[in-house]
Amino acid sequence: MKIATLISIAGSAGMCVAAYASEYMVGQKGRTFSVANLDIKRGDVVVFVNDDNITHNVSSSSAGNEFNLGSQALGTSTSVTFTTAGEVDVRCLIHPRMRLTVKITE
Amino acid sequence: MAAKSTNAIPKALTAAVLMLAGGLAAYRSQAAAIVGQQGAAEIQRPASVPRTLDQTKAEYRRPETIPFPPTNPYTLEKAVLGKKLYFDTRLSSGNLLSCASCHNPAFGWGDAQPKAIGHDMKVLARRSPSIVNAAWNQALMWDGREATLETQALGPIATAAEMNMPLAVLTERLAGIGEYNPLFIAAFGTDAITAQNVAKALATFERTVVSASALFDSWIAGDEKAISEDAKRGFALFNTKAGCAQCHSGWNFTDDSFHDIGLDSPDLGRGKLVPDTLKLQHAFKTPGLREIARRAPFAHDGSLPTLEAVVDHYDRGGIERPSRSDIIKPLRLTAQEKTDLVAFLQTLTGRAEPMSIPLLPR
Repeated sequence: MKIATLISIAGSAGMCVAAYASEYMVGQKGRTFSVANLDIKRGDVVVFVNDDNITHNVSSSSAGNEFNLGSQALGTSTSVTFTTAGEVDVRCLIHPRMRLTVKITE
Repeated sequence: MAAKSTNAIPKALTAAVLMLAGGLAAYRSQAAAIVGQQGAAEIQRPASVPRTLDQTKAEYRRPETIPFPPTNPYTLEKAVLGKKLYFDTRLSSGNLLSCASCHNPAFGWGDAQPKAIGHDMKVLARRSPSIVNAAWNQALMWDGREATLETQALGPIATAAEMNMPLAVLTERLAGIGEYNPLFIAAFGTDAITAQNVAKALATFERTVVSASALFDSWIAGDEKAISEDAKRGFALFNTKAGCAQCHSGWNFTDDSFHDIGLDSPDLGRGKLVPDTLKLQHAFKTPGLREIARRAPFAHDGSLPTLEAVVDHYDRGGIERPSRSDIIKPLRLTAQEKTDLVAFLQTLTGRAEPMSIPLLPR
């Protein structure tokens, strides 16, 4: 995880983004995201942790920040680096009630 | 799980050198988000405290109000117009099908058929779902492909196999029915009939279709005589040994999520929309259970004719396959336990309330 953060920082420097990326942890216990809203900067990393007792599939189709984590097993975590400023609607494709809004600023 | 890259631009050669593990970083911020490696996470699990019956019952209390979205708030005029449109067979090309044909109040807002019947009496792939309590659904249709009632409403109208009415023809036909004119003005402030306004009116009416208070609700409110002892045991089983409440949760008895329950059907359900996710193959939306005694047959393909057949299916556990939900397994219910579960499900039928069929515009 640390290495990925360092590489993303090096990559970010080449893209003229803030030199140090912040990392945010988001859990999914009880089929709910641990936060409903997140305000982050472009290039920051959100780590989705499946601390629930079932499989989840975190994804977003918001333009410029699309991602799909596929089946995320219990007890695993995956990081997502947001590359575009804007508002991102994050959902679980298996549990439509799970919603998180990420606001990304420069 | 590599992120999708959009544009390959010459300037990105510099960025290409700084390629991240598992993803590409584009120079312009038009790339998708970058997904990193999956790692193990240490999870703290506090010891679970068993819930009392009263705590469980509290989770089933009916809501006070119907949720209407801010983009389409409730007005009486929209609901009145929506109800007329809902029952109007002229919204189909053949003048025979309306929303009410398949989502019929007489049949628990379904159609009592194992599979829906569409244009030219063609039998379709899946059963018509009931629209009762749709106001609370987070995703519509068996595979959840429509996010709101507004986006869902026009689908069956325009689909060739169903009402077979192209939207441009729909609005023209409605505009030619003079008495719709004042109704659209009252609802939307304009007599310009648009497909979007048709959808908004339909959705507003649909949100008013709410299951009536049932004997189960009286019991939840504290009337111990409201339901039988069999049904009370059934409720306990529903929440414990039979495990039903894991998916059929809350006052509307649904988690709005998608599960493969091991049915013998080639239909991939939501898996067709999300082919990469194993647990979504053969997965269909958990239906609510309000009015369930009026909504036979059951399952996305109508293959379970009675509530007893449903309980038997879950008792056996269905087909063992990798996509099957982790919580589906043989239950080893006794005959009495099965009867109790069905007795409980029967208590979810509301008081029969007369429904008026609207007079339609000419």
